[in-house]
Amino acid sequence: MITFTKVSKKYADLSPALQEITLKIPTGDFVSVVGQSGAGKSTMLKLLSAEEKPSEGNIVIDGWDITKIKNWQVPYLRRQIGVVFQDFKLLPKRTAFENIAFAMEVGGAQPKDIKTSVSQILKLVNLADKAHTYPNEMSGGERQRVSIARALAYKPQILLADEPTGNLDALNSWDIVQLLMKINRLGTTVLLATHNDDIVNALKKRVITLNQGKVVSDQQAGTYKL
Amino acid sequence: MIGISFIRVMNNAFRNFRRNVWLSIATTLIMTLTLCIILFLYIVNVLGAEFLRNVEQKVDIAVTFKDSTSREQVAIIQKDIAARSDVENTRIVTSEEALKEYRKRHADEPFIEEALQELNKNPLPSNMYIVAKDPRFYENITASLRSDKYSAFIEKVNFQDSKVIIEKMIRIMDLIKKAGLIATGIFGLLVILIMFNTIRLAIYSFREEIDIMRLVGASRWYIQGPFLMESVLVALISVCIATTIFYIALNTGATNINQFFFTGQNTTFDIYRYVVSHWIQIVGLQLGAAIGLAVLSSYIAVRRYLR
Repeated sequence: MITFTKVSKKYADLSPALQEITLKIPTGDFVSVVGQSGAGKSTMLKLLSAEEKPSEGNIVIDGWDITKIKNWQVPYLRRQIGVVFQDFKLLPKRTAFENIAFAMEVGGAQPKDIKTSVSQILKLVNLADKAHTYPNEMSGGERQRVSIARALAYKPQILLADEPTGNLDALNSWDIVQLLMKINRLGTTVLLATHNDDIVNALKKRVITLNQGKVVSDQQAGTYKL
Repeated sequence: MIGISFIRVMNNAFRNFRRNVWLSIATTLIMTLTLCIILFLYIVNVLGAEFLRNVEQKVDIAVTFKDSTSREQVAIIQKDIAARSDVENTRIVTSEEALKEYRKRHADEPFIEEALQELNKNPLPSNMYIVAKDPRFYENITASLRSDKYSAFIEKVNFQDSKVIIEKMIRIMDLIKKAGLIATGIFGLLVILIMFNTIRLAIYSFREEIDIMRLVGASRWYIQGPFLMESVLVALISVCIATTIFYIALNTGATNINQFFFTGQNTTFDIYRYVVSHWIQIVGLQLGAAIGLAVLSSYIAVRRYLR
């Protein structure tokens, strides 16, 4: 369970990015976070991965108040939360396998475990045959799947996807959304920040709409409306 | 898990070293040069201390008594001086003993014996030799011997010559030490600056990976460790090179050094043997200096660019 209680985030000299957000996201939920650029979608996800700290309020993940998190605890939090970005953030000189393995190496996994887990994850994202391919030899959709695979390396409880389809065509976008649904069905809570109304409307899942840092709508099986 | 993480951090440190290999080599060379200067200073210190110790052992105050001073008066003065807390020992050479020694020394020069016969009396005075507990005490003892208390009995107090030699030696040693320390400071600063830039460039080269490491939950040690370890690696390589250069130089020059400093002196001191028996201290000194400089500079770079 993720709980936001009166969470605000203010950046210096700018209007508040988030204002008094209060909401609950049960474990295993699939939530789309929508809103115009600057509405606060990315800020919301950054607060969850402790990239930013809220100016006010509390965020609790499964009983852990991450607003009081110490610097040395941040890596442990991030191993429980997978993050996917629009620009993939893959290492160009490493193959798909190595990019995923890299995340596991960082956490101190043994080489044998890395080999087994990475192969399984590559199968999950339908890239088993691209294990030794470099990012620049892949399509945008494939790169995003590698990025998702890397986010799954620690088997996280939560997956944060910040505009994962922003750089993809419609076909590849649907592939990615299908993959996120699949991951959600396996028990992972998924938060999807997106602009893509077709996807949000087709998903028929919970939709939180942000406007100028405030929650203006929170609907179960909702639709994209601004 | 800690073991495998440490191996990965070390692997990354080696990779950092290779990626900016020329800068790493330049840093290693400057570090090696700094260590060589430190080693040179160490050896100067050892040789200087040993040389001074030998010279000091030979130094004493020679007191020449007046002809009119009786043996009893000499004995009283000796007792008086020997009782001082700053005096190590005293030795009297009577005029008879001095004459005997003089004759012995010039046994193969008959004209000297003839001259002595003609004089018909012993021309050599009684002498007292005083060794102080510390060279710094000679001045006080000399002043005391030159006071009115002894002026009626003492002809001459001879210390000046030895004093000049000792003071000159101490001045030269101080000068070498000061020059060495300044050179060490300058090179130390250079090491810090170059090492800082090496680590800064390495951080820049790996900025993409560092971003992703943070994203996927790398600990601070895992991110910063390779850069700190890279500097330690440079320090260790420098210590190895400096030690090798030092050993070769010493092996080649030890005989000449020993001859230069200790010929004619009553000592068995051998600089080569000294270094071999103190190798732990010497390597420890280098490791302390090299790792200290390396970790300091890389720590500053990491704190500044990897927060």
